[in-house]
Amino acid sequence: MSLDLLIQNVLNPVILFFFLGVLSIFLRTGLEIPQPIPKFISLYLLMSIGLHGGYELSKSGLDFYVFKVLGLALLMAIVVPIYSFFILRLKVDIYNAVAIAATYGSISAVTFITAVNFLQSIGDSYSGFMVAAMTLMESPAIIIGLILLNIFAKKSDNGNLDVKELLRESFFNPSVYILTGSLLIGFITGEKGWKVVDPLFGQLFKPMLAFFLLDMGIVAARRLSELKKVGMFLVAFAIIIPIINATIAILIASSVGMTKGDAFVFAVLCASASYIAVPAAMRLSVPEANPSIYVTMALALTFPFNISVGIPLYYWLANKILGG
Amino acid sequence: MKRMKKIEVVIDTIHLEHLISLLENRGFTGYTVIKDVYGKGERGLMIGDEVTGVFQNSYLFTICEEQQLNDVIEDLRKMLKKYGGVCIVSDVDWLIH
Repeated sequence: MSLDLLIQNVLNPVILFFFLGVLSIFLRTGLEIPQPIPKFISLYLLMSIGLHGGYELSKSGLDFYVFKVLGLALLMAIVVPIYSFFILRLKVDIYNAVAIAATYGSISAVTFITAVNFLQSIGDSYSGFMVAAMTLMESPAIIIGLILLNIFAKKSDNGNLDVKELLRESFFNPSVYILTGSLLIGFITGEKGWKVVDPLFGQLFKPMLAFFLLDMGIVAARRLSELKKVGMFLVAFAIIIPIINATIAILIASSVGMTKGDAFVFAVLCASASYIAVPAAMRLSVPEANPSIYVTMALALTFPFNISVGIPLYYWLANKILGG
Repeated sequence: MKRMKKIEVVIDTIHLEHLISLLENRGFTGYTVIKDVYGKGERGLMIGDEVTGVFQNSYLFTICEEQQLNDVIEDLRKMLKKYGGVCIVSDVDWLIH
């Protein structure tokens, strides 16, 4: 991988604010962002990316290529948690294996946003409908995880699984709901609608992302103290599995003729791990799993790795395999 | 003054409703909740500092007669084993008013 690409990605105000947040914990500055603000900004980011994706989708329209990519996204969202689960079962108990597999089978919207930001900064492009792929990849891992739990755990241990509640939590959790809704609004209102919301949801997007990543840096660094619980096997898993997932995604993308930008974004989605939708669902449906393991892995290991090294690495891989 | 038992539970906010319905099903008619308490236990730092609320704890206390405590204690134990959390029982004097 070219060092230029890595430096270009890291020397970006948005990414640097993440590390500023991390540093503030190590230096004990006491920097803290009042809790409702990050929640508000995460909603803002999801609305913004949904609206913009919907607008782009209204421009490009729906054709066979779109459906093919969406189908592959769905396939990866089903397959990744299955093989992750079997790898994890080598060292981890069934409950934590299910929760971690679901975490890595789902996606991180902020990693996706950071990847898009990187793509724009180097003057490359991607298809707007990839936001729909992201939305589609949020929930299946939760369902797959619970199917695995029902197959492999003792029946008596998970007898009171409320399937209706679980499906509601999987498909109507706040992040999926706001993303899907914004995507539809963006699609329906098209260019006219985008012009109306652009001052807030377009032009302010990067500063808001910087603000959010500052908070993410603080939260991720706080979770670093939990790494002792995680253990070496899971630390390695948190770094290696994203690279494996991204490589598989790029190979699949190249075999079906995806564009380089779309293949890169697809790889980032497959490589990312959820720390919003899945943990909330897992706390309800697999309470035996320890969130300080699966959230710490996603938030304090995989997320920083992806936004600093992973993104340029996957771009380089996409370049190598699909030609740049 | 009346001799009573005080039950204090710290539990994941996400499971608070479950705890409340367990107590109500056992005939408890009152309780007090403090949301968003923070601390550290076997499930790590519970500080409610990220957007999902996954690491958010709540504190509930209630008082009851000894018999009522005996009726509910095993249910509480099962629940804490599954969901995590802490339960403390102590003797208190209730001020009758």
